[in-house]
Amino acid sequence: MSEAHPILRVRDLTVELQSAASRRKVLDSVSLDLHADEVLGIIGESGSGKTVLSRAMVNWVSRPLEMTSGQIFYHGEDLRQMPVRQLQVLRGRKISYIGADPTSALDPTLPIGHQIVEKLKSVEPGISEADARKRVIETLQAVRIPSAAERFNEFPFQFSGGMMQRVMIVDALVTSPDLLVADNITQPLDVTVAAQILRLLRDLQAEYRTAILFVSSLLGVVNDIADKVLVLANGRVVERQSMQGILQSPEHEYTRHLVRDMPRIWEAQSEVPAVRARVNSNHGREAILSVRDVSRTYATKDRSRLFGKQYVQAVRGVSFDVYKGDSLGIVGESGCGKSSLSRLLSRLEEPDSGKILFKGQDVGGLRGTALLNLRRGFQLLLQDPYNSIPSHLTIGRTVAEPLIIHGGRSKAEIREKVAETMAEVGLGPELAHSLPVGLSAGQRQRVNIARAMVLEPELLILDETLSALDQVEQAKLLGLFEKLQVRHGMTYIYISHDLGMVRRVCSRVAVMYLGRVVELAGNGTTFFNPGHPYTRALLSAVPAIEHRPYDAATYLLEGEPPNPINIPPGCSFRTRCPFAFGRCAKDEPTLLARGSGDLAACHLAEGGMPAPGMSPAGLHDLNPVPALRSGTGA
Amino acid sequence: MLFAVDFFLRRLVQGLVIVVLVAMLIFTLLRVVPGDPVRIMLGPMVTAEMAEETAQKMGLRDPVPVQFIRYAAQVISGDFGHSFVRSAQGGSTGGSRGGDTFDASNRAPVMGLILTALPYSLLLAGLALGISLVISLPIGIVAGLFSGRWPDRLALYLSSLFVSLPNIWLALVLIFLVSVKGGLLPAIGYQNWTYAILPALVLAIELSPVFIRSASVAVSSNMMESYVPSGIIRGLSRPRMIVAHVLRNSMIPLLNVVGIQAIGLLLGSLFVIEYAFNYPGVGLLMINAVFQRDFPVIQAIAILACTVLVLVNILVDFAATTIDRRLQY
Repeated sequence: MSEAHPILRVRDLTVELQSAASRRKVLDSVSLDLHADEVLGIIGESGSGKTVLSRAMVNWVSRPLEMTSGQIFYHGEDLRQMPVRQLQVLRGRKISYIGADPTSALDPTLPIGHQIVEKLKSVEPGISEADARKRVIETLQAVRIPSAAERFNEFPFQFSGGMMQRVMIVDALVTSPDLLVADNITQPLDVTVAAQILRLLRDLQAEYRTAILFVSSLLGVVNDIADKVLVLANGRVVERQSMQGILQSPEHEYTRHLVRDMPRIWEAQSEVPAVRARVNSNHGREAILSVRDVSRTYATKDRSRLFGKQYVQAVRGVSFDVYKGDSLGIVGESGCGKSSLSRLLSRLEEPDSGKILFKGQDVGGLRGTALLNLRRGFQLLLQDPYNSIPSHLTIGRTVAEPLIIHGGRSKAEIREKVAETMAEVGLGPELAHSLPVGLSAGQRQRVNIARAMVLEPELLILDETLSALDQVEQAKLLGLFEKLQVRHGMTYIYISHDLGMVRRVCSRVAVMYLGRVVELAGNGTTFFNPGHPYTRALLSAVPAIEHRPYDAATYLLEGEPPNPINIPPGCSFRTRCPFAFGRCAKDEPTLLARGSGDLAACHLAEGGMPAPGMSPAGLHDLNPVPALRSGTGA
Repeated sequence: MLFAVDFFLRRLVQGLVIVVLVAMLIFTLLRVVPGDPVRIMLGPMVTAEMAEETAQKMGLRDPVPVQFIRYAAQVISGDFGHSFVRSAQGGSTGGSRGGDTFDASNRAPVMGLILTALPYSLLLAGLALGISLVISLPIGIVAGLFSGRWPDRLALYLSSLFVSLPNIWLALVLIFLVSVKGGLLPAIGYQNWTYAILPALVLAIELSPVFIRSASVAVSSNMMESYVPSGIIRGLSRPRMIVAHVLRNSMIPLLNVVGIQAIGLLLGSLFVIEYAFNYPGVGLLMINAVFQRDFPVIQAIAILACTVLVLVNILVDFAATTIDRRLQY
């Protein structure tokens, strides 16, 4: 590069992980240049060293990690040689860092505004309290936090993850730094919120002219923001290119894999495992689970009145059927009621009103043995693979637990059934006698699956079961679920925020917003011709490297869902809907058929919204399912 | 503000229920354990008829619930009754001095006995709490900041040592060494505040391990919170993070320990230590009352101790919610 000197120049940076026995290179001779006003994306899977690299940029490398060689030049000065005092001033003032977990980055017991002012006064000594306060409130307004002056005095726990990430962006940008290190900042956020944050960061970058080192494990996210990309694999830079170049002509083998394995929603490829094409053949099929107008409300304390209570309407009049051998996806942002619904479906809680019928039997009124017997038929799998397995029991014993509870089998039978199930989910027989300590997240999730499968259930409810796993593990477990479905005729309910995964595996999709199902449609309709603007908004926010039929400029939502305590009258989505009109404030739309069994709750479902902007690749693929493989069931 | 009203109303009602239950328990237990107070009041020489007559007159033969309700009504009107044993002039009545010295109309009011003894106990407890915080907070905080290193281990050894010293033994050793041999401090009875120093020291040593441990755990766990490194990266200095954030947040568990464990421990140990030093506080009053089956005094002290514990708890919890607002939800 012959232009002006780069802001950041890293040369041959090596970081080693030191343990008593060995030394392992976490970063191996990494070099990079970052110029003013440039966004450099760094992409790599978990364990590739990208977080270590981003932390090294602020000299935050602590034991057992150690920087062993190389230089990090900031405006020509080596950060590694700089005295601590000088570095302390630089950090936070000229170089800012934003991490992946905004909710624990600030002291939980002090108002956010005060903490940002504290930082500002610490890195810019001499600034008056009033000036600092004014600047913080202005920056809070710049990241579009509503009523910034009031929220200045609120505490971290009163902010949602997305709002908190905005607060951290304020904290980083309030000093107008010329270098910002963003380490996986969208990772814990909902897709819509992550898309908002990305858009915001792009706008702010243009305004503040900050150079950004943007680290992420998702190609789609980096694609949305970076000019150039550096691909990191096993601590080495394997490729550096423009974003366009990476997508069109990846050079290194690893990058080619990365681009190829990135799940596609619209440009579905033939190698993507099939969803059985039963979308339109629901008529006359047996519903294994029928949800009839189910509602659930939780009471919480109302702090504005003495002894007052307020009611959170978590699930509001939800109805749908799940057919035997089918896979239903339930999607929506956090707080839309999907997890409350999963607690109702799995009979952890009873609905306040409405009925849930499992194979025609009302789940609600059952108690004791009758309930226990019914429970055999449906099992719930949760997200966290670590806290859902007892650490003091052997894996074999954990898997045997449900059989022991349900009784009626001899020890030998139990042992045999456990061995069989473990083999089926891909757990080696030697694991039966070992403790779960040291198992990977994927293996642990297999233990959970085995524990559920050992009762031979007919329905599995997967509440974000795969979202803690990386792309590779996820693909393996999806394969396993598919195998089990083929072999046992299993029915699945996938509760997920991952639209890419839902596109791959679910034949029908229910989209939830504020406790209601706003759209219930087949896979093809959901992704190519959704009838509800909220579904389109979700699709516009998916991080993708393909052409999106719903562009963010038209559909991306601002803000967050309204509080489920004060749900607006009329259509509950109208406060964020780009197409809302007079009628939406008065009539609440109900789920209406749009033909071929697809339902949407919108006054405009039959027309009135812009047509999807199909790419050539998408247009010829109006086929409802990505690829057809001979299905089972049906 | 609304939160405070709601909080105190709710907690005071809960606290009242606890106090009433404790009062019932104490009242019933006192009446079912062996030992007839009339015998002790009147001494061994009185006739059975006379003892029975006195007991009837004092209502001691009524069913326990009836007695309790009578007592409760009295307490609500602010009257904790009169001592069975002590006369209004001080000194015991009845007992071995024979029946005729027992004067039912000239017995000391319980409240007066307690109010006389209370300031001595408050001085002792306050001094003990102060000394132990001065000893243990620096040790505990340093141990927490250098978790796993030598200050942490030193603090652990020190607390193990303190926790394994029986208070009564320590009291006797200190009386012998400091007072009898060294002549440095007075030990027995009370004439001026220096008489409180030795017993306070014994109590402080007993309290310290709890404080050292909870301070070091609170500080070290706060140091591991991710807001600490992230604050340093945000441009705040490490000392600033420790003083303005870590120590502040460590106050919450510490407050709880002071409120619940320390006050409880102190109340228990006061009885033993005041007895050992013949220190004229509430503890000594209580111990003597137990030996003499002086039911009204025992009941009143138990109820008051329980009330103090409940109130301190409420205050401590309220203080914690103002430090960490999350606790208000």
